[in-house]
Amino acid sequence: MLAIWYFTSNGLLAPVLEHLGAGKDYRYTSELKAIPLYFGIVATVLGVWHWLGQHKEGGFDFYSSSIAGGMFILLITMLVRWFIAPEIAVLSIGLGEVGDTGKHIHELLGLNYVVLGIVAGIIIVNVFKVPVWAKNGVRLSRLGLKTGVILLGALYSAAELKNLGGLSIIMIGFFVLGSVGIVLWIGARRNIPNSMGGVLSAGMGVCGVSATVAVAPVVQAKPVEIAYTIGTILIWGVACMFLFPIIGNLLNMSYVQFGAWAGTGILNSAQVAGAALAYQPDGIETLMVAEIFNITRVLILPIIVLWLAMWYVKREGNATTQVNVGHVVLAKFPVFVLGFILMFALSTTGVFAPANHYQGKYFGNTVEQGFKLENLLQAEQIAILKADANKIQNADYREAYNRLIKNNKIMSIADDTVVRGLINAKTLSPDANKILASAHQSVRHTAKKIDNFRQWITWLFAFGLVGLGMQITVGSMKQAGGEPAIIGGVVGFIKAALSLVVVMLLVSETV
Amino acid sequence: MFNHILLASHGTEGAQAAEYVAISNCVSGGKLIHLLIVPELWQGMTGDDWLNNGHTRDDFCRYLETELGKEVDGHCERIRRTANLHQLNYAKEIILGEPDKVLVQYSTTQAFDSIVIGSPRPKDVAGLRSRLLTENVMRSLKIPLIITPYPL
Repeated sequence: MLAIWYFTSNGLLAPVLEHLGAGKDYRYTSELKAIPLYFGIVATVLGVWHWLGQHKEGGFDFYSSSIAGGMFILLITMLVRWFIAPEIAVLSIGLGEVGDTGKHIHELLGLNYVVLGIVAGIIIVNVFKVPVWAKNGVRLSRLGLKTGVILLGALYSAAELKNLGGLSIIMIGFFVLGSVGIVLWIGARRNIPNSMGGVLSAGMGVCGVSATVAVAPVVQAKPVEIAYTIGTILIWGVACMFLFPIIGNLLNMSYVQFGAWAGTGILNSAQVAGAALAYQPDGIETLMVAEIFNITRVLILPIIVLWLAMWYVKREGNATTQVNVGHVVLAKFPVFVLGFILMFALSTTGVFAPANHYQGKYFGNTVEQGFKLENLLQAEQIAILKADANKIQNADYREAYNRLIKNNKIMSIADDTVVRGLINAKTLSPDANKILASAHQSVRHTAKKIDNFRQWITWLFAFGLVGLGMQITVGSMKQAGGEPAIIGGVVGFIKAALSLVVVMLLVSETV
Repeated sequence: MFNHILLASHGTEGAQAAEYVAISNCVSGGKLIHLLIVPELWQGMTGDDWLNNGHTRDDFCRYLETELGKEVDGHCERIRRTANLHQLNYAKEIILGEPDKVLVQYSTTQAFDSIVIGSPRPKDVAGLRSRLLTENVMRSLKIPLIITPYPL
């Protein structure tokens, strides 16, 4: 890390960064000059202490040993984000656009730093092995992801949370209960053991490996049944993480539609976050939608555990499991969701950004509010807009449009909303649309705290997903097979296809 | 007949055939060392779970460990009983690791006369994918290896 910082600060990496910028300014220069320095110092101090210090078994040594693994994940994340992903983009751009899609291979395949980070994690654990000194810390990735979700809570508006929450409850409720029910039904038809049916239905229906881990002891699943289920889910999850963004790109899905589809159709919760960031690597709108679905899944998990526990006891008759409703709900409750709710509650008080901000962004068309005078529309831009004016039928919209032409900038939040609508509707010429987009951008400003939050969230998810990649072993994926692979394949496909149809038909492009 | 046999078996039907062959081919009073390798794949069974709390994950790990322990104990006990009936000196060794590497390494720890293992599972039979019989094993072993066909 310190070497990255040193070579960047001294300009030794300049030719490399210029190459990675592909003709534009390399976008991560500011990160390279600060982040590796701070974390490099932490890693060095701790490394020296671990190497030369006096150690004994116990609390501090145990917990501090996990930091080494955290630093290892962070280093991989840095290398992938700053060097490997940009290099893949340069190579992909060099190959030109794919057909008439208007996109390059890396954009279509979602080969950005998030997906490549997970792949790097999978390669490291399966080919090179995680170094012994780092093993203890790989689990820190879960903390990274949970912290990311908690911080995400600060970015939702009340209306968004209400609308997304309602949508996710309906979608998750229908598809979770549906797929759990279908797996149990198919399982009974194919005479698989109840323990197998129980653990498989949870894995296929709720949130993949997480649900399998939660349900396996309750339905007394045998080790081989657990291995089958987890292998099937991991293979499906990794495949979906690559396939979903490609399909989303081909169908030109909006962020909300893709987030809702990934949140419902992808079996495994880790890959939901991965696919969302793969689809939109430079923003977190898709992630915000997808994570609401993930949270809904995990909140529904205790209910499914209870259902399957009662189902299992009833089916087995002599099962030794005692279903204690209170204990199950308390033991399985995801505590990090409380953090998410707390951050949301704090954000509504205006601690992070004034309450009238939308996703941390606010409207401002005066210099005091952050508007730059050079962003006033120029005469030639106004001429292009005037030429397209008669394409707008709605009288209110035309008035807002004319106000923009008259004042060379957007004059109110209401006018900005109209402009956004016109951009999305694509009724004007591409040139006019670009001018509208530029006018919209120049009156939207991001609160500093929220901007920092977004950066931190992106890093936390990238860090977490690289670490999770290091926990996906080929050994466990290879166990996919037998009845679970058949049933899982059928149910996984039905769920992904049906949820895609529902999302495309019923979910609007914005919340 | 052999005096000192290393039996690598983890309880599948094919491995049970190997147990039969090992016990039948060991002289009365001979040593039967039962090597049971717990594949490393079990360490990856929490996969990429991140939504659960630590309590749920600990519960799962304890449960899986207990269940695997029960299977291992039952399997060892069955071989021990049969070995005793044949008046063999039975000892077991349970090791976590990659099956082929552990087998090669363990085969050098004692002066075994032969090693007995089961044949690979037929493709249409369900079971865990964890190969014991690899090219590495065949190239590296310094003592005779008996691969028991299944069914016998």
